[in-house]
Parts: sequence; C-alpha cells; structure tokens
Amino acid sequence: MNGEVNLVVAHPLEAKELIEWFELGEVEPRGKYRCYENKKGIALVISGMGVRNAVNAVDWLHGRQSPGFRAWLNVGIAGHPSAAVGQGLLINRIEHRRSGDCFWPPIPDLGLQGCGLVTVDEPETTYEQDAAFDMEAAGFFAQAAGLTTTDLVYVFKIVSDNRENPVDEVNLQRVPELLRNLESAIRKLVDHLRERSAAIADWYGMPAEFESLLRRHRFSATRKAALAQYCRRFCALGMQGRLSEIARVRFRDAASLMTAMRLELASASESGKTSRQGAE
Amino acid sequence: MFSAVYFESEVRDHPRTRAILERYRELPHIECERFGQIFNRKAQNFRMQKQYPALILARKHGRKVLPAPAGYGFEAGQSHYFSHMLNCIYDCRYCFLQGMYRSAHCVLFVNFEDFADSILQSIAAGSGTQVFYSGYDCDSLALEPVSNFAEFFVPFFAQHPRAVLELRTKSTQISGLLQMAPAPNCIVAMSFTTEACAKRWERDVPSIEKRLKALARLQEAGWPVAIRFEPLLPEADQKAYASLFDLIFRRLDAGRVHSTSTGLFRMPADYFRNTLKLYPDEPLFARETRTENGIVSLEQPNREAWLAELEEMLFRHIDPASYYRCAN
Ligand code: SF4
Repeated sequence: MNGEVNLVVAHPLEAKELIEWFELGEVEPRGKYRCYENKKGIALVISGMGVRNAVNAVDWLHGRQSPGFRAWLNVGIAGHPSAAVGQGLLINRIEHRRSGDCFWPPIPDLGLQGCGLVTVDEPETTYEQDAAFDMEAAGFFAQAAGLTTTDLVYVFKIVSDNRENPVDEVNLQRVPELLRNLESAIRKLVDHLRERSAAIADWYGMPAEFESLLRRHRFSATRKAALAQYCRRFCALGMQGRLSEIARVRFRDAASLMTAMRLELASASESGKTSRQGAE
Repeated sequence: MFSAVYFESEVRDHPRTRAILERYRELPHIECERFGQIFNRKAQNFRMQKQYPALILARKHGRKVLPAPAGYGFEAGQSHYFSHMLNCIYDCRYCFLQGMYRSAHCVLFVNFEDFADSILQSIAAGSGTQVFYSGYDCDSLALEPVSNFAEFFVPFFAQHPRAVLELRTKSTQISGLLQMAPAPNCIVAMSFTTEACAKRWERDVPSIEKRLKALARLQEAGWPVAIRFEPLLPEADQKAYASLFDLIFRRLDAGRVHSTSTGLFRMPADYFRNTLKLYPDEPLFARETRTENGIVSLEQPNREAWLAELEEMLFRHIDPASYYRCAN
C-alpha cells in the first residue's frame, strides 16, 4: 500500500524536477497556488517565498484534499556557512528567527546528512550561525504539524549558497540541476514518507462498514464515537466478517444496532476469541 | 538503537554527556534548551517514534525521589522510586509508558549525583529500611552499557545498608554487575510473562530463556534476585503459567529468591485511553475492560479464582512468605 505525500516548494524552479520524477500533472483550473498531483497519492504546491506563503499554501492544499493521512515534505534550497553547494541536508531542528520558536522534525535512519536550520525573513548574507538558512521551513512545519502528526513532517534542503558562494550570486537557473543531483536521496525520502503515511492509514483508518452504518442510521456525536470504537474492536478481534454481516442486517435504529454490537463484542472477549487465539 | 542524540545545553559539558556523544559519534547530535521541547511536544505519534527512537540527555530538576504508589513492591519499610530514565528501549504492547508519554524517545538524566543526594536525604529522613525502585518509568538495566546506571548506583547503595535498591528489568545487561561484588541490598528483579505472551507482546525484549540464564548467573554469583510475574494476562491459560513456573524454579534456587510477585494487567484510565488511540488494532485492548478507581483492567470471568489457582501453583515452588501481589 502506498501512502500519500504532499510536497511543498517555494519556487517553480524547485518544483520542476519533482514534477517530472513523480509524473505530476497540473491541477486545473489554477487556484490561488499552482498545484500538481498524480494518481499515486503525491501532490505538490508552489507556495512562493516566505513563512506566510508557506503557511497559507499548506493550509490551501490541505483544504482542497479529502480527509486522510498524509505526510508533508518541504524541499528547497538553503544557505549554509560552510557546507558545499549541492549538499543535501535533512533538517532536524528549525528555529524561526523572528519568533524564536523551535521545531524538531523527525530523524529517520536514511543515511542522509542531518542539519539544523534557521528560517529568516530576508536572505542570510552573514551566515553567522552554524546552520542552514531558508525562508519557509518554520511556517511550513508549524502549519503541517498542526494537520497531522509531527512524525510525518520533514524538511529537506539543498545548499545553494555559502560564504564562498554568497546568496546574491546564486543562479536560480541552476536549481533544477541541484535537485537532479540529489534525485535518489529525494526519492528515498518520498518513498519513506509514503511508507509511513501508509502505515498510519493502516493503523488508524476506519473499516468501510463504519461509513455505511453511519449512512444507515442517525447517530449522536457520542454514539458515533462509540460506533467507531466498536467497529475497530471488531476488526482488532479478527471479526471483520461478522462486522460485514452486521452491516447488512436491518436494525430498527442506532440504539438497537449498538446493543447488538456490544453484546457480540462482550461474548467474543469472554470466550477469548481473538484473532490470534490458538495460534501460539 | 537510536536515530539521534539530543542534549540539553545545560549538560553539554557533563562527563556522561560527553562520553555518550562520543559513543554515538556517528549519529546526529542536536542541542536543545530543555528536553521537554522534544519530549513533551503535542501531536507526536509514540507508535511511529518507536521505530526510530532518539536518546535525549538532560538534567533532572525538582524532586528526584518520590513515594512509591501504595501496593507497589514488597513490604519492607518505606518505599520510594526514582527515575534516572523515562521510557524504554523495549516495546511491550501492554506497557503503560506508551500511554503516559507523548514521545517514544528515551530521556536519560545524567545528573546521577543529584539523585544520590536526594536518596541520601530520604534515607536520613526515614526510619528503618527504605526501599528504592528504579524501574518505574523505564527498565533499570536495558541501557546499562550506555548509562552505567548500575555501575554508579550499586556501589552507592552498598554503602547504605539501611536502603534497598530494586533494579527491575527484562534485560540481560548484567556483565557490569557480575564484575562487582554482590550487594546484599541490591535486588535484581526480573519480569516474566508466559512464552506465548512474550512472543506476542514483548518486542525487542530478550527471550525468557536468556533472561533466566542471566538471572541464574546473578544468583550463582551471590546477587539477590527476585521474580515478577507481570503483567498476568488472561490470554494465557494455567498450563502456560505452570510450565513457566517449572522452567524458572528448576533453574533458580527458589529458597534463595528474594521475593516473587504477581500483578494483573492494569493501567490508569487516561493512559489506557491514550494507548487505545495508538493501537486501535491491538486485540489485547479490544477485549472487554473494567475500570475501578481510575484503573483499567481486563475483564475476566472468575478472576479471583484464576489468580488463586496460579498462586497455588506458585506455592509449590516458593515459600508464600516471600510472595506478594502487586496492586499498583
Ligand atoms: S521492558 Fe518494561 S518498561 Fe520496557 S517496554 Fe517492556 S514493560 Fe515497558
């Protein structure tokens, strides 16, 4: 199973290679942001530069997608005092210079070079801190982490400038080439995120019967939460088949359905009938 | 074992921090102000983090020694616990830590000396024997090669015979202990569930056979050892427990076992709710439960009779005077 990943880049030149690699097509009609997607669960939005744009683009993309479990990845160029131009950096600490807020992206064991990053409002020219510098990551991370678990939000930067090659000399036309040189690292990261978001969807997705039962009867908010829990317990106890049967039966109302489910779960639990009973 | 090492700025130059960073020099080292910035963040997924936990090195502030909950441990005077670590490198599905903490990263407090001072104060303030449990929020020995926790605390306790230390563990990291002279007031308490339960619910934990071997070696070397049958899970039948008891007491000198205890699966209700959210697909938590006084346990018909029968089997091996039921 392939999970879903949202890519966020600031500039069209940062998007170019990603669009090609993942065979993304532009979403029409164009909305507030240029957005691309494929049928395999990868979407990309071009946010424009700066924290505010990153926040809004994440929000916008989230708003146009159906509910689901998606990972988020910000890919882009960054400055660094000493790292070589073209070096890929998996960001493990983000400091928002203006607010002082700190964020801590996860650190998967993918053999990628880790680095801290400072998000600034203006391009960094003095490179005073031993960290990467960008203009979006803090906004991106704060916003995306509010939509999912922080364990599904990553930032990957490619060094475009350093003390020897200052930011005002960066040739933006070279950006696609910088990405191209890191294709395998970026693909690895995206694959990893797809696995993670698929795992989350697998752990926390609801069985289809839940939706069909919801359509069949009227549930209060409390009963709806209880129904979700009952459906999950049926599955956890290896009784998916029984849940499907129940979903086909006509009950008088939500209350009688819930009573039947409750009784069935109680008797399964009492007899120790779990999915793996007797397997060991 | 770890994906990265975070360390608080405050402990950057602490010798234990330096040694651990050197040991993990190939991992990313990330500085933070307070461990809570990482450990207590909202919206973390403990289950996912268990796949790539990090180590966080920090200084423990505030109270370091706390009264042990009533019913926890053996009766030998006033009981306390102290946590030099939060979380565990193992992954037992029934563990309450996964419901207690937002993060699966392991926090190691490096200021052992401050813990020792607090323990001394507790000893001085109390009368008679004082018991100290170190495995309440972690496994006492699992990270020994990194933390050198026992290497520091066992000699410390050995100098204070009025205090008893229980090192509760499922680990086989005993080589450090075997190099020391046994301390009569330092008890290594090993936890066991049945073979089937261990296979099903204890990930990354040494096998029963390995644990038993470690315990037997400790006992042979003169260390007081104890057995903890926790948690008792209704999933296992009496026969499984009978063979576990046989296996253990064939290998150990039962007469020299410091104490044996049992404890049913139980979890504070809010931790259970969190755990259930993390593992909605786990059959163990999908069973019927009962909540009493804020504690969730698994519903089990004739629970008391079941437990009494287990105890009867146990008493064929041990002196009932050395047995207790853990209630907390
Ligand atoms: S060994 Fe103990 S502390 Fe560690 S996960 Fe298992 S139950 Fe929890």
